[in-house]
Amino acid sequence: MNRVLTVTRVQLVGWQNTVGWPWLLLIMIFAVNYAVFLAIGDIEDNPTTGALISIYIVVFVTSINWITQLLPFSMALSVIRRTFYLATALFLVVQSVVFGILLFLCQLLEDATDGWGIRLRFFGLNFIDQQNPLLQIAIYTMPFILLGFLGIFVAVFYKRFGLTGMWLLSTGTLLVLAGLAVLITWLDLWDGIGRWLTDQPMAAWFVGWPVLLAALLAGAGYLTIRRVTP
Amino acid sequence: MSTVVSAQQVSKRFRDVTALDDVSFTLEENRIHGLLGRNGAGKTTLMQIMTGQLLASSGRLTIDGRSPYENETVMSRVCFIKESQTYPQYFKVRHALESARLLFPGWDEDFAQALLADFRLPLNRQVRKLSRGMHSMLGIIIGLASRAPLTLFDEPYLGLDAVARHLFYDHLLTDYAEHPRTVVLSTHLIDEVGELLEHVLLLDQGRVLLDTTAEDLRGQVVTVAGPGSAVDELAAEYEELHREILGRYARATLRGTFGTAERARAKALGLDLEAVSLQDIVVRLTTAHARSGDATTTGTRKKETLR
Repeated sequence: MNRVLTVTRVQLVGWQNTVGWPWLLLIMIFAVNYAVFLAIGDIEDNPTTGALISIYIVVFVTSINWITQLLPFSMALSVIRRTFYLATALFLVVQSVVFGILLFLCQLLEDATDGWGIRLRFFGLNFIDQQNPLLQIAIYTMPFILLGFLGIFVAVFYKRFGLTGMWLLSTGTLLVLAGLAVLITWLDLWDGIGRWLTDQPMAAWFVGWPVLLAALLAGAGYLTIRRVTP
Repeated sequence: MSTVVSAQQVSKRFRDVTALDDVSFTLEENRIHGLLGRNGAGKTTLMQIMTGQLLASSGRLTIDGRSPYENETVMSRVCFIKESQTYPQYFKVRHALESARLLFPGWDEDFAQALLADFRLPLNRQVRKLSRGMHSMLGIIIGLASRAPLTLFDEPYLGLDAVARHLFYDHLLTDYAEHPRTVVLSTHLIDEVGELLEHVLLLDQGRVLLDTTAEDLRGQVVTVAGPGSAVDELAAEYEELHREILGRYARATLRGTFGTAERARAKALGLDLEAVSLQDIVVRLTTAHARSGDATTTGTRKKETLR
């Protein structure tokens, strides 16, 4: 366990470039958005932007870099694969929670200042707004975790099986999905599924299902990394 | 002396290449071992197996009696520096050193700082902007300052100038004397490290061609020079690795036992005996092996391995 914590500290080395960069980018995008809507002047309804997604994309790319860049370097410094993976998973979860809380605080600030003085909706997007603060934090946090484990799994899979493996994985996934779609059409289940999907509460969409999927990806990544060559 | 690394019939096959073929040897504690061989001889593959980065296809390799693969206890005592090491894109020199300080239990910060000053490596430069030689220096600093009980250097000094290479040799020897450890040095600059090596492991086409102490080796291979007929007479009793002929005069590199009696006999035949440098020994052995390898079968090849 001590070794796992040490390796997470190595992941913090040069943190400005990994943990700091997504926030710097988000602040810059926010500044641009703010300037644009300030220049447009008074708008009848709340201007809402989708720019929040940029931070999720940056974190996704960072998680791929953990495997393509930090794993070979850590293994060169005698870190074993298992320890690296556990440390990365721990780092990802903690970072996601911290980011989730920070986004929640930004949303609070946005609400308190009536949309930064110009009724701008940047952090709080209407359809994800919740009354329960814990649920709100979880809604911000979960996509980070899911995207992080997705990036880690894809990168590990690529490192282990190469381009051919990636091709087989993507084709295989597509075939399975297409097969499911055919099966559902054949059994005439679309109506039922559509109703079931719309009946799902927001919490299931943003927390429940992502947790399940992230756990599956995390497990698959763990099994794949054990035979990876740096 | 106890055994640190032990390999028993280790083979590694990639799709259509056999990188290591039935390799067996042991490395003793607190010695400097030279891992020599031509490009593609299997040196890097062997070091990767020794550090758990690759799995052998068959055979068993242990460090302190245990397999290094995914073994935290073993790996925390190992440091492996390779020439082609990549660093995360955003890393500066100080980030790499900070990581090494966190990860190696025996890390000596004062020593690292002294090496930095000696090599004149800029702490705040991005690693990817370092020149080839500076990139190698960074690896060397990490390798030396880690003070790992088993330290492996794979071609550590690509692009290093002569001054920096000698700095490396000096620091390695001094620090090794004060803090004995097991060092494995893979290199093509054999003449430069000839004096450093205490034990030589020579690989050729994935096989062990030579596994002996440097001292024994120097006594085993000798060049004799003199009249052609006298060289012929002596060469008949030895394995001849190489011969140059200049009219009636000949020089031959021979392998076998050269004790006092044998030396006296050569003198009596009117032959001059010359010591052969480690580099020449390696070149002669590898080329002689390639020649005989064409004609003979695997069985006779294996017999050639010196113990």
